[in-house]
Amino acid sequence: MAAYLAQAWAVARKDLLLEARSRERFVAMATFAVLVAVVFSFALDPGVRASTIAGAMLWVTVLFAGTLGLGRAFALEREADALTGVLVSPIPRGAFYLGKLAANLAIVTCVELVIFPVYALFFGLRYAGALGGLAIVVVLATIGFMALGTLFAAMAAHSRLGETLIPILLLPLLIPVVIFAASATQRLLVGRPFSEIESSVRMLLAFDLIFLFVCTAAFGAVMEE
Amino acid sequence: MNVPVDENASLAGTRRWSVGLGFLAAIALVWGFWMIFFYAPTEREMGIVQRIFYVHVPSALVAYLAFGIVALCSLGYLWLRDERLDAISVCAAELGVIFATIVLVTGPLWGKIAWGAWWVWDARTSFTLLLWFIYVGYFVLRQATEDPERGKRFAAVLGIVGAVDIPLIHMSVQWFRTQHPKPVVLKPEGPTAAPEMVQTLLVNMLALTLLFFSLLLARYVVERLSRRIDAARVAAQLRPAA
Repeated sequence: MAAYLAQAWAVARKDLLLEARSRERFVAMATFAVLVAVVFSFALDPGVRASTIAGAMLWVTVLFAGTLGLGRAFALEREADALTGVLVSPIPRGAFYLGKLAANLAIVTCVELVIFPVYALFFGLRYAGALGGLAIVVVLATIGFMALGTLFAAMAAHSRLGETLIPILLLPLLIPVVIFAASATQRLLVGRPFSEIESSVRMLLAFDLIFLFVCTAAFGAVMEE
Repeated sequence: MNVPVDENASLAGTRRWSVGLGFLAAIALVWGFWMIFFYAPTEREMGIVQRIFYVHVPSALVAYLAFGIVALCSLGYLWLRDERLDAISVCAAELGVIFATIVLVTGPLWGKIAWGAWWVWDARTSFTLLLWFIYVGYFVLRQATEDPERGKRFAAVLGIVGAVDIPLIHMSVQWFRTQHPKPVVLKPEGPTAAPEMVQTLLVNMLALTLLFFSLLLARYVVERLSRRIDAARVAAQLRPAA
């Protein structure tokens, strides 16, 4: 088990090191996310109180920016045909998947650390009273999102449509995450107690555990040959 | 790893079953439609429009059955790598999308009268729409994958992940909102609908299930034959020019 996690960490470390040097995915995703916020503020009628729909706006932005980043998740492996190298290395497919997932999670979390303050700034949201609850919801929802996202990004990298395929496959499957994350976020933002969103948090946790298991197991069938 | 499939095996038996089931389905459909229009009483509150229920509900159940077959065959394909299981998955997914489309068309026709709106985001409506998108994605994925063997693997993975997600989607949209009429036939304390209505529903359910299996077998024969033609074409191209 320790060796398995060490191998996953090696994959994650490689991706994060490359990302730390180039910062191309982070910059693209964060810029895109802030632009979505700008588009929202112009698209919304000035009479609409943004704080009443902030949960929805935040999660639409996270999903879109995350999907954009997933498109590049396997780009390096594909371009230099480095995938063959990964496939002949003695790393189990599951560990490779978990490593990719960890790197994606770290990058999306960094983007979320930009998105949430920017929305607070643009739309006057207050997180102060609910920081702990929000952190739990964001972490759980992002894990579920990236668990499925990493699997489909690997498939998309091997298809003719490329990253265009990712949102088509991913969005319908992510509706449970959207429903529970957006409603929990919205309730926390209007000052509801954590006890009210407990059932949503439990569902997000169930979603994460199920898909971490299923996707790790299924990844072997994606990365074969 | 691949299970050898005898590509010269005759598919005539499967075709005969398809024709036989199709014949039975035709009889059951005529009988079922007669019951819809002349046997079942008109519902007191919703009026004549309620009769669409006898097509809507069986189509939904057949679509769920089809997606269940996709999930099982996908799992079987990843395990056994049997070409035939993949062929059944494709055919079942195709029919599932068609029957789900029937559900999504007949629903709004009824909803416009009963709910006063073509589309309402209630739990079951949203659920069926999301299923429809998942299996449309299944075909987009298959077509976007150049290597056919890889396409089959990817599709099987999506078939399994989708099937695992379906109960979660169901729970989440249920939690999200419920405006859909509650079941009137399948419930613990017994059906509340008139017995003629239940009979009409059951006959139509039988008819559409027979139709589904007949079409599934027919489509399966076509799928297998078209794969043989593709394989023969590839073999002909690979043969060195004399």
